[in-house]
Amino acid sequence: MDDLLREFLAETAENLAVLDVELVRFERETSDATILSNIFRLMHTIKGTCGFLGLPRLGAVAHAGENILGKFRDGELDVTPRAVTLILKAIDQIRALLAEMETTGSEPAGSDEDLIGEINALAGDSAAPTEIPTIFAPPDFSDAGFPVAAELLVEVAYALKHDVHIASEIEVAPEPVAPAFAAAVPRDSETKEPATASSSIRVNVEVIENLMTLISELVLTRNQLLQMQRGQKDNEFKVPLQRLSHITSDLQDGVTRMRMQPIGNAWNKLPRIVRDLTVATGKKIELTMQGAETELDRQVLEMIKDPLTHMVRNSADHGIEDGARRLAAGKPETGTIALDAYHESGHIFIRIADDGRGLDLDRIRQKAVANGLTTEAVIATMSEQQILQFIFRPGFSTAEKVTSVSGRGVGMDVVRTNIERIGGTIELSSVAGRGTTFLIKIPLTLAIVSALIVEAAGQRFAIPQLNVVELVGVSDRSGARIETINTSPVLRLRDRLLPLVSLRGILGLEPGGRAHDRFVIVTQVGANTFGIIVDRVFDTEEIVVKPVAPLLRGTRFYVGNTILGDGSVIMILDPNGLSSAAGQIATADSDSAQGKAGVAADSEQSSFLLFRAGGRELKAIPLELVSRIEGLNAATIEHVGGRQVVQYREHLMPLVPFDANHQWKESGLQEILVFSDNGRCMGLAVDEVVDIVRDRMAIELSSARPGLLGSAIIAGKAVDVVDVGHFLTQAFADWFEITAMHGTARHALLVDDSPFFRNLVAPLLTSANWKVTTAADGVEALKLREHGHRFDVIISDIEMPNMDGLTLANAIRSDARWSQVLLIALSSHAGESDIHAGRNAGFDEYLAKSDQTHLPENLARAIRAAKARGEANDNLRKAS
Amino acid sequence: MNTNPLCLVVDDSRVIRRLAADILKGLGLRTAEAEHGLAAVEFCRATTPHLVLLDWNMPEMDGITCLRALRAMDLHPRPWVVMCTTESGLSKIREALEAGADEYIMKPYDREVLLDKLVQVGLAERA
Repeated sequence: MDDLLREFLAETAENLAVLDVELVRFERETSDATILSNIFRLMHTIKGTCGFLGLPRLGAVAHAGENILGKFRDGELDVTPRAVTLILKAIDQIRALLAEMETTGSEPAGSDEDLIGEINALAGDSAAPTEIPTIFAPPDFSDAGFPVAAELLVEVAYALKHDVHIASEIEVAPEPVAPAFAAAVPRDSETKEPATASSSIRVNVEVIENLMTLISELVLTRNQLLQMQRGQKDNEFKVPLQRLSHITSDLQDGVTRMRMQPIGNAWNKLPRIVRDLTVATGKKIELTMQGAETELDRQVLEMIKDPLTHMVRNSADHGIEDGARRLAAGKPETGTIALDAYHESGHIFIRIADDGRGLDLDRIRQKAVANGLTTEAVIATMSEQQILQFIFRPGFSTAEKVTSVSGRGVGMDVVRTNIERIGGTIELSSVAGRGTTFLIKIPLTLAIVSALIVEAAGQRFAIPQLNVVELVGVSDRSGARIETINTSPVLRLRDRLLPLVSLRGILGLEPGGRAHDRFVIVTQVGANTFGIIVDRVFDTEEIVVKPVAPLLRGTRFYVGNTILGDGSVIMILDPNGLSSAAGQIATADSDSAQGKAGVAADSEQSSFLLFRAGGRELKAIPLELVSRIEGLNAATIEHVGGRQVVQYREHLMPLVPFDANHQWKESGLQEILVFSDNGRCMGLAVDEVVDIVRDRMAIELSSARPGLLGSAIIAGKAVDVVDVGHFLTQAFADWFEITAMHGTARHALLVDDSPFFRNLVAPLLTSANWKVTTAADGVEALKLREHGHRFDVIISDIEMPNMDGLTLANAIRSDARWSQVLLIALSSHAGESDIHAGRNAGFDEYLAKSDQTHLPENLARAIRAAKARGEANDNLRKAS
Repeated sequence: MNTNPLCLVVDDSRVIRRLAADILKGLGLRTAEAEHGLAAVEFCRATTPHLVLLDWNMPEMDGITCLRALRAMDLHPRPWVVMCTTESGLSKIREALEAGADEYIMKPYDREVLLDKLVQVGLAERA
């Protein structure tokens, strides 16, 4: 294609993007002459350039658009949505023609008479010519003061009357000029004189991409040199090599920055989309954009463009209610969609928030069931947040009807997949009647990443450093050991059982080899943490990500490959893929039907340890509470004054039998579940550890029997759920007292819709010397306020029926009676956006439910922190 | 050192700037470019061009304002200014000439038109 034409296509595309945005702005501020003249000028430029390049069809459409804009400018035509829509149509047509030219290299044949006719009809001059330039009124020669002008006018008028494209100069007889002459002008290869007053230059994307490739190679070569030097003693190469290394890093930074583009480029289309939607649906929507200048890698930008567009479209189409409904709900008639972008810790955050109706939980429930994603029974036990997550599942769409704007077959599942593919995450929060917020977090660049190089079965692999949380060396001698529970490997890490995947196992590498000294790479993907077992760990390297070969695309464990400093090609592991494998292994042996559901939604479930003690019935205990599972030699158990203790890690650990009539064995193996807290341990003696399963907590309470919370169906089996607190206090009467804060009982209100959770937390608090009152939801809690109850602290769940925690917090903070109470959120969802929302609603602290063992401690800490802040504020007030 | 006449092309369209520059170079001139009136004025503060091709509709500073500014600067030697625009209204042409434009040509123009102008002001010769 001709260079000039290519330049024209690029320039016009830019102009059109600006036109879209400006027109939408203009429609709202029709009195703003600056915007209008800007719009007029852009359309005018497009038309003018078409004339130069001999593009009559394109020029005619632009001319029609300019014509109508001119009438706006001169006040001859009112700015109506219909008129703006027509101009936008003209822009779309220009865009379509440009797209065709892009592929064919020449203006497509045909005519746009219909559109132009429609536009001219609106402009009120159906006779208006669409050729360029327009005919003007016969010149007035009476003014003799300007001979040159007069001569010129004669000439110009002559040329125009004869429908000549070019107005020529006085002495030259007007003659038609081939309009396509421009393409034939030979290009001068000499360097241009410098353009003036311009601090930026345009560079072809290809040039930058090539540069990036070269830098990548340079990084590899640098790594290679560093690798060679690493084994050497200090020599004369060391210092220059370090310099080279630094310069390479700086260069890499520089080029990476060159690839950066403001996210506003991806937002350009959005005002137009929202505008079209408001016209189509009759809603009033304002789109606000903040941080449009926030920059990110253009490759990343390309990948999030479509997801962003989709989400904004969803918000406008389904999120924002129509004006009447909004007014009825006490909201302003105009809905708002707010886009917000900012940098934080090597990531870019993009927030898309609307103040619409929020997601319809009931509809999601119905849809999820109707589409076979889950069952009525299962969904009944799920929290709001868990139900919301269904919109990210394949085969789910909340659109009630397919409108002209949504329903293009792209669902939120594709959005999530796209975002996760570039190492990002997406979080969702929605409050009924108040709106929906998405928070997207993505890395700034993809091309070069820091990675940890590991080895399994003699092969090396790279794991993106972004996902690596920590490394744990494991061996039989060290404290950390890989335990196997019912064929699933787990690692006990600081009171948390971590599911593991073995790289050897999962990739089908030969087993055996160095089995004694191994490493676990603690890896995080979204909210999931799991461990990857590898044989060796090398160091971290900057690696250049090369896309994975098509042959390997079927496997979900690789994201690409790279070349290491020593020249070898290795695979880059996909933590996402491995994480799902970790989930599968954890449920592999559970009942198949339940197991299937478990894999699909494993982040919303808890792990349970199943065991038998004092009978054939299965007992279950939340796995988070168990520190360790030990098989003790029964002979080592000492019986002291009717109690049992054992030497355990240089301490005496008290043992408590689950069954009061437990017969202690003289020899053989005694299975012990170890609980620990604050450096103290206690062992619960059981008969047999059966399994670890993942499932939802769906517990029915039974009559109070000491040591049991109730019964539940877990993994398709009826089990008794154990009350750990009961046994802890048996071992240490003062188990919880260390966390008690004051001698006098203080009064806490615990608000949670789960009876199981209330029963789990209330005893913990009671034993920490708290007086506890419970309520099942916000409504119940506020009733207590009406009855004049007062509390020192209110601990509330977030997702609850009738009135959720955020609404409750708002209600508490907006009434004098409880406004001074300490408010602590306790939720199973403690993502950044959740915490943010909680703080906004008035919570002083936000704790994660998952960390139940440390609950009393965390509560005590939260109360102390909140009090300290309160006192600091008081002091400030006094000081000022 | 190239002593060929210098022409400043002022237009907000990259395509038109390049097109004009290509024609002018073909005619043996040196060229410089400015994307709006303000940039053109800046340029002329440092370097006086022999010829200015000046668009009318531009952001930042339009052609007529730029023209007045250039004339107010009283440059030596006085550059030739040719208004190049699709603004075809009589009042516009008069306004430009009053402000000190030497010539007024309509867009789109081509090599022939430009060559005639250059010959006329003695910046080029017809081969």
